[in-house]
Amino acid sequence: MTEPRETGFDIALLLQQARTYLAFGEQIQPFSERLQQSMEQGGDWGEALRQHFEPLKAALAEAAENPGGHPDLARLWTVTLDTWQQTAASLGIPATLAAPVGTDEAAWRDYQHVQGDYLVLLRQAARDALDLMEQRLGERAAAGAPVETLRELYNLWVECNEETYGRMLRGADYGALNGRLLNALLSCYRPGGVPA
Amino acid sequence: MIGPTPAQMNEELRLFQVRLAEGARTLQGLGPIETGVLPRDAVYQEDKLTLFRYQPRVATPHPVPLLIVYALVNRPYMMDLQEDRSLIRGLLDAGLDVYLIDWGYPDADDRHLTLADYVLRYIDHCVETLRARHAQEAINLLGVCQGGALSLCYTALHPAKIRNLVTMVTPVDFHTPDNLLTHLVRHVNIDLLVDTFGNLPGQLLNFTFLSLSPFRLAGQKYVDLVDIFDDAQALKNFLRMEKWIFDSPDQAGEAFRQFAKDFFQQNKLIKGAVQIGERRVDLSDIVMPVLNVYASQDHLVPPAASKALASYCGSRDYSELSFKGGHIGIYVSSRAQREVPPAISAWLLAR
Repeated sequence: MTEPRETGFDIALLLQQARTYLAFGEQIQPFSERLQQSMEQGGDWGEALRQHFEPLKAALAEAAENPGGHPDLARLWTVTLDTWQQTAASLGIPATLAAPVGTDEAAWRDYQHVQGDYLVLLRQAARDALDLMEQRLGERAAAGAPVETLRELYNLWVECNEETYGRMLRGADYGALNGRLLNALLSCYRPGGVPA
Repeated sequence: MIGPTPAQMNEELRLFQVRLAEGARTLQGLGPIETGVLPRDAVYQEDKLTLFRYQPRVATPHPVPLLIVYALVNRPYMMDLQEDRSLIRGLLDAGLDVYLIDWGYPDADDRHLTLADYVLRYIDHCVETLRARHAQEAINLLGVCQGGALSLCYTALHPAKIRNLVTMVTPVDFHTPDNLLTHLVRHVNIDLLVDTFGNLPGQLLNFTFLSLSPFRLAGQKYVDLVDIFDDAQALKNFLRMEKWIFDSPDQAGEAFRQFAKDFFQQNKLIKGAVQIGERRVDLSDIVMPVLNVYASQDHLVPPAASKALASYCGSRDYSELSFKGGHIGIYVSSRAQREVPPAISAWLLAR
């Protein structure tokens, strides 16, 4: 008789994403403040959006370039790579700089290289998402439909990322890279199986 | 335009943190999450497989039993997730006698199981069990997703044993342009994968599914959870789904090797080139009535991948049911409960 497997909810996952949301809020606040000041001074909405969205983009880009500096913020767009690395770790290949014991070193270097390529694609999709978000905010302003809450802004950010990520996902480059990533991981294992 | 002032945003973030703290306590007090609610009895077992019969909900169920063949991926309790989200309940209420194959959790002992084991041994033994129990020449078969593909293979090889075939969200043409899973599998060295791990680890399947929509599935979903922290029922519903999503059995190595290469990479099912054991699967041998149920917003099995069956099966009584929803919603949404089991039941009872 089959026994059900215990797969309890991981509350750490919830807390991690909550911290990421809070970090998003912290980044958005100064942007919103500067934007509103510009508008109160009678500035042009489109120009103000362009001007003040740039620092926000730069902050998010910096967080992704240097995830250690602000990991909660970086997680906003390294979520796919993080999930991949957690998966690889659960299969005996942790996300360390040095080759784990029991792995082939040349294959490990190749795997690191492919992960770098993967991150480049993800970063590009994330940058495109910020451009799209700026565009959508402009469209909403033109339509007289302001974003009312921080959560709405976050949801818009998610929607834009899903859209640009989805385009990347469907592209030939991603299909090939996804295969290379898994194949490179597999090549790290020496014959005989998974390292301890 | 951005409406909220920084002060409003501050207040929103403060409330979020308060609800998060309260909700974390609520979550810890919810206790175990139950799935699979209807009473059922094990009527046949073989290796890790268990064949369950759901207790009928009418005095005299239909004499031809219905066998549900679920996918090897994920667990079949999705068909009977909870009291008010149970496709099986709907089928029972309509008077059907429902059986379901639970494949169990393959382990290292199962790495050499092939598709022939699954189709010609396990499914066939279940079909034989039902034919004998109900004294029927042929039974009704309902295949779900990958289980639908296996059901197509079985039915093509044993058409005399199947009276009616229902396929649900079943891929048939694996190379339609919108097939994301094929797109992701196409460049994977399947031999290296299986030779390395033996069985395909369930974690890799989880990653693949999450990677289709990571910002929603690994991020926003958890932020939104804060909104239902004060609704114990909604919270339990969420946790049931969460349990199902991450309850991913490993896949028996050799069976996965053939399925990934022959179905996903080489699209052999529609080419009549799939070999199950010594036998070739020809979908035109499926000549009994067929109902093909697909979800119009399915991102895992695009409608075109399912609807291809119309061109390849040999049935003169072929029908389609389009459900307005996605790959998961077709089992668990409120609309699905209202629409899908009654439609399948009516179609079966008329035949």
